[in-house]
Amino acid sequence: MLTSLYVEGRTWFHRAPVRAKLIALLALSIALFTTNSLLLLLPAFLLCGGLYFSLGLTLRQAFARVGFVFFTILVLAVVNLFLVPVPEVLALVLRLMALVLFAAAVTATTTIGAFMDEVTVLLGPIERLGLVRAADVSLALGLVLRFVPDIFARYQAIREAHRARGVPIRPLTIIGPLIILTLKDADTIAAAIDARGFRRQ
Amino acid sequence: MNTRDLVLIALFAAIVVVLGLIPPITLGFIPVPITAQSMGVMLAGCIIGARRAALSFLLFVLLVAIGLPVLSGGRGGLAIFAGPSGGFILGWAVAAYVTGLIAERAIRPGVSEGRQLIGFFLASVVGGILVLYAIGVPWLSFVTGTPLIAAAGGSLAFIPGDLVKAAIAALAARAVYAGYPLLPARA
Repeated sequence: MLTSLYVEGRTWFHRAPVRAKLIALLALSIALFTTNSLLLLLPAFLLCGGLYFSLGLTLRQAFARVGFVFFTILVLAVVNLFLVPVPEVLALVLRLMALVLFAAAVTATTTIGAFMDEVTVLLGPIERLGLVRAADVSLALGLVLRFVPDIFARYQAIREAHRARGVPIRPLTIIGPLIILTLKDADTIAAAIDARGFRRQ
Repeated sequence: MNTRDLVLIALFAAIVVVLGLIPPITLGFIPVPITAQSMGVMLAGCIIGARRAALSFLLFVLLVAIGLPVLSGGRGGLAIFAGPSGGFILGWAVAAYVTGLIAERAIRPGVSEGRQLIGFFLASVVGGILVLYAIGVPWLSFVTGTPLIAAAGGSLAFIPGDLVKAAIAALAARAVYAGYPLLPARA
């Protein structure tokens, strides 16, 4: 149900270290926001597009991943046409699309595990301050992935129950029971975690 | 933070993911489809309280960032943050925190049902709409170059739908509070 947006592949961008890719994304966004020159933004857009489409996604997959964001960018560009000079609108569209394509390329070439290693490194300083424990973050993440299919099955069961009784299916009548039933499990799960000593408290 | 809080935070994030899988429902009298997921901010604040709600959404945003398609419509990944509505996604945790702060103060044991409903509704409106837009709209204006006034004016179109969501969230939060109160408990 929750398949990662990672795409198998052996391109150089797949092999590049996560940290380098994230720093590149940050640097690129800073760099692109400091320029309004089409002579720089157009090549940046083409390069990012070229990179993204060279990663082994089929065209349909590739468009499906960025389509919604592109749609919002284009809608806002149409609004901007009435308010902002045309060359500037073009610069804005190219800049945003370049960033979105690069970001999508990073997502497509990085596994969840690699991201998590990086998150753990980033959490290091916060952990030393005693605010959050990196192990807790991984545990919470694992819990989400573990319980989404269960909660979805529960949603379907509630929906079937509605249908069987001829009750119309409305968000209001489903969300309440869904949340109560799910959060009631929290004590059991917490007890199970503590019994296994995962958190060493 | 004890293990129970940690589990509640994770389970609520999982609920928000599932809300994204529910097909949007159009109400008869209003032309905006109600996606259950965008009510998540209001629900989280009103049901598990400020601190846990904020952490729950930080966890959810982390899921988006590491490339899980947890947003409604199967969206996810870093591209979402690079796009125009990135500010709204990052604003969720703050919005959930403010919703929770107001709900925690408005709802005490012994408060009448009507007052609980009003409290949850106001918390949802202030946190889930005002605070969220106060972060998301200037961000959108900065990123897309759309003048702030135009961006703010355009988002007015979403306010009626958001008010309906706040009403649904208030009713659902009140139902959960009656059946399984978590709001005042530890966090």
